[in-house]
Amino acid sequence: MANKSVWSDNRFWQRSAAWVTGFAAVLLIWLTFDTMGQISMGTDADLQSGVTKRVPGPTVINYKISYEMSTKRGLEVPVIGEKEKFFGRDDYSEKEARALLHLGKLGSQAKNCMNCHTLLGNGAYYAPDLTKAWLDPAWQDGGTMQAMTGKSTKEEAMAEFLQHPSTYPTHSRMMPNLGITAEEAKGLVAFLKHMSSIDTNGFPRNFGRMQGAVNGK
Amino acid sequence: MANKFTGIGSESKQLATWYFTFAAILFGAQLLFGLVAAIQYVMPGFLFEVVDFNVARMIHINALVVWMVFAMFGSVYYLLPDETGIETIGIKIGKLLYWIFVAAIVVVVLVYLLVQVGPATETTIWFINEGREYIEAPRWADWGIVVVALGFVANLWLTGMKGNRSGIVTVLMADMIAFAGLYLAGMFFTDSIVMDQYWWWWVIHLWVEATWEVFVGAIAAYGLITMIGASRKVVEMWLWIEVAMLFGSGILGIGHHYFWIGTPEYWWEIGALFSALEPLPLVAMFIHVMYDWGKQQGKQNASGESVSVINNKPAFLWFWMNAFGNFLGAGIWGFFHTLPQVNLYTHGTQFTSAHGHLAFFGAYATILIGMMYIAVQGKNGIKILKHTKSSIWAVSMIVGGVMGMTIALTIAGYVQVLVSRAQMGATWAGYFDGQQGVWFAQAMDWRLLMGVITFLGFVFLVKDLLSTGKNPVHER
Amino acid sequence: MFEQFTDVVPSFFGWLNQGPMTLTIFLHTIIVLPMIWIYKQEKARLEQEG
Repeated sequence: MANKSVWSDNRFWQRSAAWVTGFAAVLLIWLTFDTMGQISMGTDADLQSGVTKRVPGPTVINYKISYEMSTKRGLEVPVIGEKEKFFGRDDYSEKEARALLHLGKLGSQAKNCMNCHTLLGNGAYYAPDLTKAWLDPAWQDGGTMQAMTGKSTKEEAMAEFLQHPSTYPTHSRMMPNLGITAEEAKGLVAFLKHMSSIDTNGFPRNFGRMQGAVNGK
Repeated sequence: MANKFTGIGSESKQLATWYFTFAAILFGAQLLFGLVAAIQYVMPGFLFEVVDFNVARMIHINALVVWMVFAMFGSVYYLLPDETGIETIGIKIGKLLYWIFVAAIVVVVLVYLLVQVGPATETTIWFINEGREYIEAPRWADWGIVVVALGFVANLWLTGMKGNRSGIVTVLMADMIAFAGLYLAGMFFTDSIVMDQYWWWWVIHLWVEATWEVFVGAIAAYGLITMIGASRKVVEMWLWIEVAMLFGSGILGIGHHYFWIGTPEYWWEIGALFSALEPLPLVAMFIHVMYDWGKQQGKQNASGESVSVINNKPAFLWFWMNAFGNFLGAGIWGFFHTLPQVNLYTHGTQFTSAHGHLAFFGAYATILIGMMYIAVQGKNGIKILKHTKSSIWAVSMIVGGVMGMTIALTIAGYVQVLVSRAQMGATWAGYFDGQQGVWFAQAMDWRLLMGVITFLGFVFLVKDLLSTGKNPVHER
Repeated sequence: MFEQFTDVVPSFFGWLNQGPMTLTIFLHTIIVLPMIWIYKQEKARLEQEG
C-alpha cells in the first residue's frame, strides 16, 4: 500500500523531465530537417522554369520583384516577374550572382548593419527594417531617393547612398559613414534585392501599400 | 543547516568571487554603453561617427551576455563545494581559463571600440566582428569561448561524478553541456540570411528561453536551501517539474522566432502554443519561492521564535525579485507579442526591446546579483547578512529604473506598431513617421531618465557589494 | 474544419497543420501522453516499496 503519491515523487518528475526534454529535442531536430529542405536556396533553373522557392537563387537579381497579396494564402508574397536590369545587366550567371550575394552578406555582417537596422525583423530598432527595402517606394522611379542622390535607377541610388550616407540625410538620425566601397555597395544592394524575394509569410504586412497616407488621410 | 560552508579556504569559491568581480565590471560597461545608445535616440548627433549607435549597442548587448555568462560560471563554482561536498576538480585549470577568458573579452571589446567595422571579407568576421546580434564576437574569440566553456563543463562533470551528485548538480551538468554545445550553432558563415537566422536562434533562443532558464531554476533551488533552509527533497522535486515545463515549452517555443524569416507556415502554430505555455513554469517558480518561504517561516513561528528564517536579506530580496521579474518580464511581456497575429505587427519594434530589457533583468540579472550577495556572505563568514542603506537604494533604483525603461519602451512600441506598421505599411518613410511621434519621443526621454536611475542604482550596488562584508551590522 | 493546404511546399508537418491548432495539439499530445506510462511504472514501484 503506497501512502505516498506519485505526484510528489521526485523520481517520477525526474523521469518525466528527461522524457519531455529528450523528445522535444528530437522533434526540433526532425522539424529542422524538414525546414532545411524548404529554405534551401533555389537555383537559376528554378527561376527560369518558374518554380516557386521560399528562398530563390541568387540570380533573382536578374528579375523584377514585386510584393503582392495572394488570395490563396491570405497574405502578401514576393512575385518574381519579367527580366529587369540590375546595374545595367540582366544576364548575371549563377556564379556572378552568387559572388555578389556572398560579398553583400559578408558586408552586412562586417558593417554591423543589424545593430541599427532589422533584417527579416531581427536586429536593432534604431533604423528602418530592411526586409523589403528593395521594394520601398522611396527608392522607386519618381521616389525621393533617386532625385536626392542624382541617380536614375534604384540600384545606383541605393549604392550611392550606402557609400556616402551622411551626405543624403533623410532624418536628423543619420546613417554613419562605414567606409563602404563601390564594389561592396553593389554587393549589399544585391543582398537587399535577394532578401526582398524571400517568402516571409506576409511580413511586413501592407508594405508600401499605404503610400501617401498621412495622419489617417 | 544553512551556510554549512563559509567559503573561506575553498579555491572554488575564491574563483567564484573572481568571476563575480569581472561580471560586475562588465555589468557597468553594459549600462554605460546602454546610456550612450539611449542618449543617441534623444540627441542623434551625440558621438556621431565616433561611437555610433551600432557600436554602442553592440557593446551594450555583448557586455550583457558576457557578464551573465561570467556570473553563471561563478555561481556554479560557488555552489559546487556545497553541493558535492568536495573541492572542485581541476580548479587550477579553471583559474587559468578565467584569465584567458578575461583577456579575450578585453581584446574583443577594445577592437569593437577602436576598429568597429571592417571591409566585407572573411578577415573581418574572424578578427573584428561577426555582425550577428548578441554573438558578434569574432570567430577567433568564438573558439576561445568554446575552449573556456569546455574546461568549465569538464570541471563541473568531474566534480559531479566524484562527489555527491545532488539533483541540483545533475540538472546543472546536463544543462551546462547543452548551453556550451549550442554555441557551436552560431559559429559558421552562410550566404543565406534565412539559414543564418535559423541557426542564430538556436543559440539565442535555446540559451535564454531554455538552458538559461533551467540554470535559474537550479540556482533558485540552491538559494532556497542555503538562505532559508528549505527541504532539499521538496526543492528538488520542484526543480524537476520546472525542468520538464521549461524544456517542454521552451525547446519547441523556438517556433515563435520562425514566423517571418522565410521558414514554413507550420511554425506559426508550433511557435504560438508552445511559447504561450512558456510563462507557466515561471508562474510555478514564483509560487515555489513564496510557498517555501511561507512554509519555513511558519515552521519557525510555530516553534515560538518569530525571527526571520532568511540568513541573507539582500540576496533573498534579489531572488524574490527574480521569481517575480522572470514571470513579469519573460512571461507577461513575452506573451504580449508571441502570437503570430500580434507579432506580425510587433515584430522588430520597441516592443521586443521592452521585453528584452525586463526579461534579461528579471530572469537573469536579479538572481545573479543575489548570488553575488551569497558570495559576499560566504567570503566574510557572515551568519546573517542584513540590509544596508546602500543595498536598499540599489535594489529600489535598479528595479524602478528597469521597470521605468520597460514601460517607456512599451509605449514607444505601441506608437511604432500603430503608426509605422499599421498605418504606414512599414516603409522607410513610415518608420521615421513613427519615430517622430510625440509619444515616441517622450518615451525615449523617459527611457533615458530611467536608464540614468538604473545606473545610479548600480553605483550603490557596487558600493554595497564592496563594503558590506566589513559592515558591523551583520551577525557573525 | 480541414482547410486546403496553402503553404509553398507540402510536407509532413504542413499536412498535419490543416486546421485550427491541429499540428500543435498533436505535438503536445505526443509529448505529454507517454508520461502516463511513466506514472504507472512509478506507481507500481512505490507500491512495491511501500
